[in-house]
Amino acid sequence: MIEGRDPELIKEIIELGGHDLLKCYQCGTCIADCPTGLSETPLSAKRLIHIIKLGLREKLLEEETPWMCVTCGGCEERCPREAEPFEIVLAVRRWQCKEDDTYVPLVLGEIFSRGHTQNVLNPIRKELGLPEIRTVANNEEALRKFREMIKETNVYKKYSYIFREE
Amino acid sequence: MRFCLFLGCNMPAIRPDVELAIRLSLQSLGVEILDIDGAACCPAYGTFPSVDEEASLAISAWNLANAEKKGADIVVQCGSCYSVLKIGRYKLIHGKLEEINKKYLSKVGLRYEGKTDVRHVLDVLHNVIGIEKIKSSLKYSLKGMKVLFQYPCHVLRPSKKVGFDDPENPVVFRNLLEALGAEVPRYSREMQCCGGAGGFAKHDKNANLEFLKKKLDAMKDEVDPDCIAVSCITCLMHMDNVQAEMRKLGMIDYQIPVFDFNQLLAICQGHDPNKVAKIATTPRDAVIRKIVGNKI
Repeated sequence: MIEGRDPELIKEIIELGGHDLLKCYQCGTCIADCPTGLSETPLSAKRLIHIIKLGLREKLLEEETPWMCVTCGGCEERCPREAEPFEIVLAVRRWQCKEDDTYVPLVLGEIFSRGHTQNVLNPIRKELGLPEIRTVANNEEALRKFREMIKETNVYKKYSYIFREE
Repeated sequence: MRFCLFLGCNMPAIRPDVELAIRLSLQSLGVEILDIDGAACCPAYGTFPSVDEEASLAISAWNLANAEKKGADIVVQCGSCYSVLKIGRYKLIHGKLEEINKKYLSKVGLRYEGKTDVRHVLDVLHNVIGIEKIKSSLKYSLKGMKVLFQYPCHVLRPSKKVGFDDPENPVVFRNLLEALGAEVPRYSREMQCCGGAGGFAKHDKNANLEFLKKKLDAMKDEVDPDCIAVSCITCLMHMDNVQAEMRKLGMIDYQIPVFDFNQLLAICQGHDPNKVAKIATTPRDAVIRKIVGNKI
């Protein structure tokens, strides 16, 4: 193994969802249409894939660009190799979470505690004449089951400190 | 015609007027709206899908299974919810379904058969209800008004897994706006994303503002529209709210009102604009007055 390079990295990213990673031939189509291109530090799936192929773990871990993705699907649609760059971006996020807990978004805890990323019980609903909301946010029995299901996941088991009942 | 309305998080929490517009406008078109008991977050891309795909699929399957209990397909407006559920369903029925049912849903007495599909509200309006039926439901029209659409990215791409329209030259949104009587001129940045979803704005606010400014400038310079129509809660909040920030920063000196398509439809059907289009940062009163002055 060349010092600082880990050939296992490719396999790890593939297993986490970047299944078609090896199809990439570095053409850069994914960058051309990316909304983040105006940034001085744009998201480049091409660059991430290159880092992965070189096996540069440290370099990949410090990349914050995967979290800039607007999920527009442009790269995924136009990749001439069907390498699924968007799936690779998500796989890199998952790998980073595995390597470094501080990447795990705390909003997972919100979803666990009330079923949503935010409070959907907006009082304006009543004013507007909307029916009472029937999601887990307003259904104790369903919320209990929803949490029970999440407790079965590896995410819950590994990062249990994020999840609170209330 | 029955559909389960998937609410997501942003719509009921921040823009419930859009929820009302969708309910009323679809009901006026003969659609029975069902609420999904025990629905939850789709889950959004920045949450479970960014940490663990299996957990993400389990939560999507939870939502799909609860809709399936009602015996109807899902209709959804939020682009991210549409994408997460639609691609989640694709991954489930292409292999993961039994594993997810066994490991997760069966533990809480649920099961997803893969029957309930996920459809975007634009798809339902255009391809299920149809243009003629929509036209015959109108009391007011957008005649004499120039309206530009903001296509939700998530309903177009990746076209292998999602969508109902040509991903590069879509026609559905244009047809729907023209059905309301609007003129929909072409302009250079028609297909540009709004930039509102994900972490772009959080990671580089300036680049994010510059990105949307390019689109808004193109709209203003090339068309000068009466308003923008969107059909995604993120596009709506982003394009509406960010204009105020840009004016404060001196980046733009104009404003273009933003409506969700179902808000325009509901107003044209005669529903109360003070309810179905109650919440906005960029003022919309002038556009609303114009519509209700346009009796058919």
